[in-house]
Amino acid sequence: MKKFVAAVAVLALSSGIATAQTKIKYALGDVLGIDDLPLLAAAERAKKRGVEVEITSFKNEDIATQAVINGQADVGQGTPYAALEKVNVPIRFFVQLWSLQFFPVVANEHYKGWKDLDGQEIAVQGRGSGTEAIMLLMAKEHGIKYKSISYVPGSQVRALAMLKGNIRATILDSTNKNFLLKEGGSKFTVLPLGNVKASDEALFARLDWLQKNQAAVEVFVEELVRVNREINKDPNSMVAVRKQLGLLKDLPAKLDEEIPTYFKEGVAGGIFPNDGGGENAAKNDLEFYALSGSIKKENPKIEDFWHLAPLKAALSKLK
Amino acid sequence: MRRWQLASFVLFFGLWELAGRWPVSPAFPPFSNTFLALVEMTRDGTLGKAYLITAQPLALGIVLCAVAGIAFGIGMGLSRAIEWLSLPVFIILQAAPMAAIIPLLTYMYGIGLTSKVLAVIMLAAPVIVMNSYKGIRNTPPSLLQMCRSFQGTRVQEVVKIVLPHAAALVFTGLRLGLAMGFIGIVIAELLITPTGIGDLISYHGSTADYPKMFATIASIVAVAAISLHLLQRLELRLFPRD
Repeated sequence: MKKFVAAVAVLALSSGIATAQTKIKYALGDVLGIDDLPLLAAAERAKKRGVEVEITSFKNEDIATQAVINGQADVGQGTPYAALEKVNVPIRFFVQLWSLQFFPVVANEHYKGWKDLDGQEIAVQGRGSGTEAIMLLMAKEHGIKYKSISYVPGSQVRALAMLKGNIRATILDSTNKNFLLKEGGSKFTVLPLGNVKASDEALFARLDWLQKNQAAVEVFVEELVRVNREINKDPNSMVAVRKQLGLLKDLPAKLDEEIPTYFKEGVAGGIFPNDGGGENAAKNDLEFYALSGSIKKENPKIEDFWHLAPLKAALSKLK
Repeated sequence: MRRWQLASFVLFFGLWELAGRWPVSPAFPPFSNTFLALVEMTRDGTLGKAYLITAQPLALGIVLCAVAGIAFGIGMGLSRAIEWLSLPVFIILQAAPMAAIIPLLTYMYGIGLTSKVLAVIMLAAPVIVMNSYKGIRNTPPSLLQMCRSFQGTRVQEVVKIVLPHAAALVFTGLRLGLAMGFIGIVIAELLITPTGIGDLISYHGSTADYPKMFATIASIVAVAAISLHLLQRLELRLFPRD
């Protein structure tokens, strides 16, 4: 009898440990939008497995990155390769959420194609940003040179500026490209883009924190990968998941219909990795961000920027 | 510079160095690194180029404020009708949290120079207008009575008594307006589109080049402080205190 009681006690204790809440403080450098639905779904499911992901929205990616550097947040989202290279705290990426999907757009009245942008002014997100890197890469590919590059943070701000005619050529994310084409109709053209595979959003954390909290990170990564696989299988799945988990309840009704459009476009572009990106994403990123000038180091090594152990462990459980 | 003034600088920079070496945060660089970054950015011309860009909307805004703001303030001081119409607007503008209002400018005036000039005006104008207005209103009544008792006309009253008396406060308004203009342009360059000094602060922040980021911030603080100090000295020379 004593043995039985002891066994029950051990079982109760161990199950208690398994469900003990572990909190991950997550710094998001933006307001929550449609594109964050996979993150929210994964966070909600991780919570049910004892890992609470507390998401805080910051004004921009830089502040979110600083919160991670200073230890006020555990996990950050973005691709701050330049910061990671310079800062004296070891920070590593550990999973890719989605790869770059941007759309260069021009006002038809002024330009028809890439060649017309030779000697013209363009606007991108910021200095050293992925959007700038894409535009520079395209300029190189088409043998053109821009007159100047203005930095206008926020795809929405650039879309509005295009509509008002303040800027004539820029690069937008999927949601704002759709908004611009809807509002401006035939006034704007989306220019063709080559194959850019680098990360748009990846998760990063301090290396010591990642090592100390690998179990919790594994659960979170597992859920993130699982959600991406669901989306790739059925791009409409997020509509049902959102309803089921009660995510983004405050989203304006008119944006509801944009959910399937956004995910269909993403799946068609192959931006949601089924394997969390891993080594492939790391390689593509190092190549792309070195070309963009974000990474200055010659021959950068994957292990200096990525810590793949939690992802590998999570993938082994998902197989 | 007096000895105690020098000592306060030494103490401040010493504490900064210690805090950076401790470190307070991995993003807080010691004073020595910041100073070296400042020297590097001055030498390679980065700071100079940035200041040229930042100076344009600042100078435009301040000149517009100086001309229109002073005229408006004087008008408010001299005419009850103008005062009645405009005083509440400037009192509200003085109290309004501008950092919340400046992003709205982009919706109305886009992301170019106009928005930045307007940001400078929105911060500087209330101070310049209110000081000019108060300068006029604070004219000692005894001087006005004296002018009238000597059968002075309204024009003589304004030109010979009211305006010379208000000049010192108008100048103080301009100096304080420039201080607000510095705040306005930095907020605009950080919140509207990163250009000039704002671009250097946000770019070096995003690439974790904290010594350069702090050096840029320290340089704009120094430029603002030195400009205001020089203006204050000029003010004391032009309008010596009794």
